[in-house]
Amino acid sequence: MSSNFKVSYREDTAIFQNLWVKTWMAILILLMIVSPFFLNRYQLSILNEMGIAVIGALGLNLLIGFTGQLSLGHGAFAAIGAYSSALLTGKLGIPFIISLPFSGLIAALLGLTIGIPSLRLKGLYLALGTLAFAFVIEYILFHWDLTQGDLGMAVKRISVGPFQIKSQRQYFYFIALLAVLAVLFTKNLVRSKIGRSFIAIRDRDIAAEAMGISLAKYKVMAFGLSAFYAGVAGCLMAHYNRWIVPGSFDISLSIAYIAMIIMGGLGTVLGSVLGAILITGIPHGIVYIVDLIKGTYPALSGFIVDFKLGIFGLVIVGTLLFEPAGLAGIYRRVKIYWKTWPFKY
Amino acid sequence: MEKIIDIIFSGLSTGAIYALIALGFVLIFKSTGILNFAHGELCMVGAYVCYYFATLLNIPYLISFLIAIALGALLGALIDVLIFRRLVGEPIHATIMVTIGLASILVCFTGLFWGHDTYSIRSPFIGKTITSGNMAFSLSSLSTIAVSIILFVLFIVFFNRSILGVALKGTAEDSDTAGLMGINVKKMQMLAWTIGALVACVAGIFLAEQSFVHTGMRHTGIKAMSAAILGGMESLGGAIIGGVVVGLVESFAASYLSGMEVAGFHFGDIKDVTAFVIMILVLMVRPYGIFGKKEVERV
Repeated sequence: MSSNFKVSYREDTAIFQNLWVKTWMAILILLMIVSPFFLNRYQLSILNEMGIAVIGALGLNLLIGFTGQLSLGHGAFAAIGAYSSALLTGKLGIPFIISLPFSGLIAALLGLTIGIPSLRLKGLYLALGTLAFAFVIEYILFHWDLTQGDLGMAVKRISVGPFQIKSQRQYFYFIALLAVLAVLFTKNLVRSKIGRSFIAIRDRDIAAEAMGISLAKYKVMAFGLSAFYAGVAGCLMAHYNRWIVPGSFDISLSIAYIAMIIMGGLGTVLGSVLGAILITGIPHGIVYIVDLIKGTYPALSGFIVDFKLGIFGLVIVGTLLFEPAGLAGIYRRVKIYWKTWPFKY
Repeated sequence: MEKIIDIIFSGLSTGAIYALIALGFVLIFKSTGILNFAHGELCMVGAYVCYYFATLLNIPYLISFLIAIALGALLGALIDVLIFRRLVGEPIHATIMVTIGLASILVCFTGLFWGHDTYSIRSPFIGKTITSGNMAFSLSSLSTIAVSIILFVLFIVFFNRSILGVALKGTAEDSDTAGLMGINVKKMQMLAWTIGALVACVAGIFLAEQSFVHTGMRHTGIKAMSAAILGGMESLGGAIIGGVVVGLVESFAASYLSGMEVAGFHFGDIKDVTAFVIMILVLMVRPYGIFGKKEVERV
């Protein structure tokens, strides 16, 4: 298994490198098909949240992890996706199956328009620009009659023709399917010309431009693609919760997405998935633990919001101080350790 | 006329707070290369500590003010030693995320100690006004402006006339060369965090005097970033001018645009968004700010 002998370029760029990976992927897919029959509604709802988060995190990782463009305003793209799908299905009566890609496209269009002025900005200034943009979008959603401000908007159920998605299990299959598609698409994208141009821009943008990569084209493309993912995630979020308010797409959502990809590992597809699962899981884990010991310390449940915030902060600071490569880095290290055991390398 | 003076006055009192916060941003950014997203949280902690001593323990206002800024400075030094000393030179996303993580930890502890309610500091300035002619100026705003001006003058003297201040400026200019010149760069970075946190606490206490002590105060920190961007992230004087300009624009926008309605769009709470619109405009037109220098990059 530890052999890394390839005879063709095709083999080297394959998504599933060997039989070992293929077996595990098959087991994972099988588990995903079977597991809804063994889990209760609450557990399934956690999985659904994770699935939506995976889509958003993949998009942000394309932008930050692969292209090196820091965005602190990804929650705004999710908000655009959510509100455009809610308005398209609610006000215009367009079926969900059309509004889903459209909400992604509208968010992508906005991403492209944000991408163009941000060509002049780099690093810190880009981060601040996207942050300011997110606040402006949130303000608009709060103060526009169309979006009904903090009253919120009711969103229709997902329906395909006469079939309506109602139970958590049906939601799970739908969201899991989209998440798997998103993972496959991202995996394919990053090994294509586009993905490698992104990586070149991240590593040294001036050098990349000197080699003939059009910076403007690929930076704007990264923004658009990333916003598309966020828009789809926002649309799913809206139709899954069936109620949207601007407050649920504020800066804390943007921060959660960045936390996901940093915890998981920047610039890896596996990292986005692991990070999304971890960051979505932590608050539920805290609730679970507090519920367990509530009998002994009843005062604890009043502090649960503070605990969530504090542990979230501690996890981020701890990861960046002690394991900057994130979960994907830990996975790689453990794998190399077992492959070469008992030797050091 | 009186309306305009009133607007300018309230703009100056908010602007002074923005300027104080932006000063801390610029100081920390220049010397360590870290943009501190937890600056608003430091303001909040300062205000809560002052509230704790002045209102809960009934200690005279001036003494609790001094205790609060001393503890805030200590917190700043502690943050540098524990966290940011290890992070100098890390990529920008890492340092930004660590400050955001730090921000949530600070909010968590504030919430655990004092709860999430709204309080007010027992201060001799609150609720009092000075009248001249038929104008009324609130004493807490006047004290904010006066103390900020004194602090700015002190800072200018400190940075231009004292050895420590010149060393700090040198570290901010070029930390490698400063190290070669015999300046203890690590100590200077700690000093930058200490002063930054101290100024943030002062700003937080004044902010609390003008309104209340609550955890939502921390958002002022992000708004003050637009002041730092407007003045140029490299310039201390720019931060002060940027803060005053942002405060004035915000005040004018709030009184002239509020309540307007265009095609179903209501311009309410315009103060929440003015600073960010300014930030976007500055970033689009002149990203390095009024007093900043344009960066030239080499491969």
